[in-house]
Amino acid sequence: MTLSDVKPGGECCIVEIHIGDMTGQRLLDMGFIPGAKIKVIRNAPLVDPVDLLIKGYHVSIRHSEAKFVEVTPL
Amino acid sequence: MKKEPGKIVIAVAGQPNSGKSTIFNMLTGARQHVANYPGVTVEKKTGFYRYKGDTVELVDLPGTYSLTSYTQEERIARDFLLHEKPAAIVNIVDASNLERNLYLTFQLGEMGIPLVIALNMMDVAKSRGFKIDTEELARQLKASVVPTVGNRGKGKKELEEAIAATYRNTATVPFHLDYGEALEISLNSLEKRLKENPGLSESYSLRWMAIKLMENDSEAKKILEKKGK
Ligand SMILES: Nc1nc2c(ncn2[C@@H]2O[C@H](COP(=O)(O)OP(=O)(O)OP(=O)(O)O)[C@@H](O)[C@H]2O)c(=O)[nH]1
Ligand SMILES: [Mg+2]
Repeated sequence: MTLSDVKPGGECCIVEIHIGDMTGQRLLDMGFIPGAKIKVIRNAPLVDPVDLLIKGYHVSIRHSEAKFVEVTPL
Repeated sequence: MKKEPGKIVIAVAGQPNSGKSTIFNMLTGARQHVANYPGVTVEKKTGFYRYKGDTVELVDLPGTYSLTSYTQEERIARDFLLHEKPAAIVNIVDASNLERNLYLTFQLGEMGIPLVIALNMMDVAKSRGFKIDTEELARQLKASVVPTVGNRGKGKKELEEAIAATYRNTATVPFHLDYGEALEISLNSLEKRLKENPGLSESYSLRWMAIKLMENDSEAKKILEKKGK
């Protein structure tokens, strides 16, 4: 599953980032690396942004970015 | 008569909201000058202070999460470091977000410019119960680490001392992150080939060039095309 599918309150762990270039780099810069744990705060289908907690801080990303983040539920 | 000591240029770099401007203001007071970087509307703030006969000029770089070629702010920060060659970088690190902030620290260190780490927001880190082993951090990063609370002026004297010690030390050891055998073999052979280019090794850290080329970085490729032949 991808981060885009995780419901609010759901916790997951990053398996892989399936995008490179600018978007991939931006995600890496913000701490999106395999093994990192994420808690989803706000996520409504088709409504941006997706709000989440990663490594103790808040990050907002778009669905178009979140769908490249492969995760596994915790 | 004693020679008038030259101006020493120091860059202030860090992630957005880490307290760069606060530390910049703490060190320079009112002696500031605002202009734009050439050709863009991004503000360039410079200021200076005197320390034991030295004139230290600080440049407040745009806040960036990393130093790629993807955004204008990152290119500006990186070009400044590459081409103006400051004597040292004061890297403002948010101690309450240490892990994420260190990512930029690694990239700064890899450029081969000596680093001074201002471990800022120490009050926030403490209130969250974080205990940071600053000596171990300094040892691993091969840089001085100075705890600061910028908005209360804490750590000013220690930071000034660490900055001076860094630009006066001509034998600083460059920071080196080990990427593991698989990547190091390629990085080393790439670096060796870059070394055959005198024009390149004069102006750039070859280790940095090798890493950026491996990342397929557009600016690094441009530099290679220009200087490479
Ligand atoms: N609690 C606390 N707040 C701080 C500290 N240092 C700076 N601040 C505050 O943090 C906020 C951000 O500081 P700035 O100096 O503007 O950060 P900056 O890195 O220049 O931010 P950008 O230029 O937007 O990237 C301000 O409200 C400061 O007053 C500190 O050590 N502790
Ligand atoms: Mg600022």
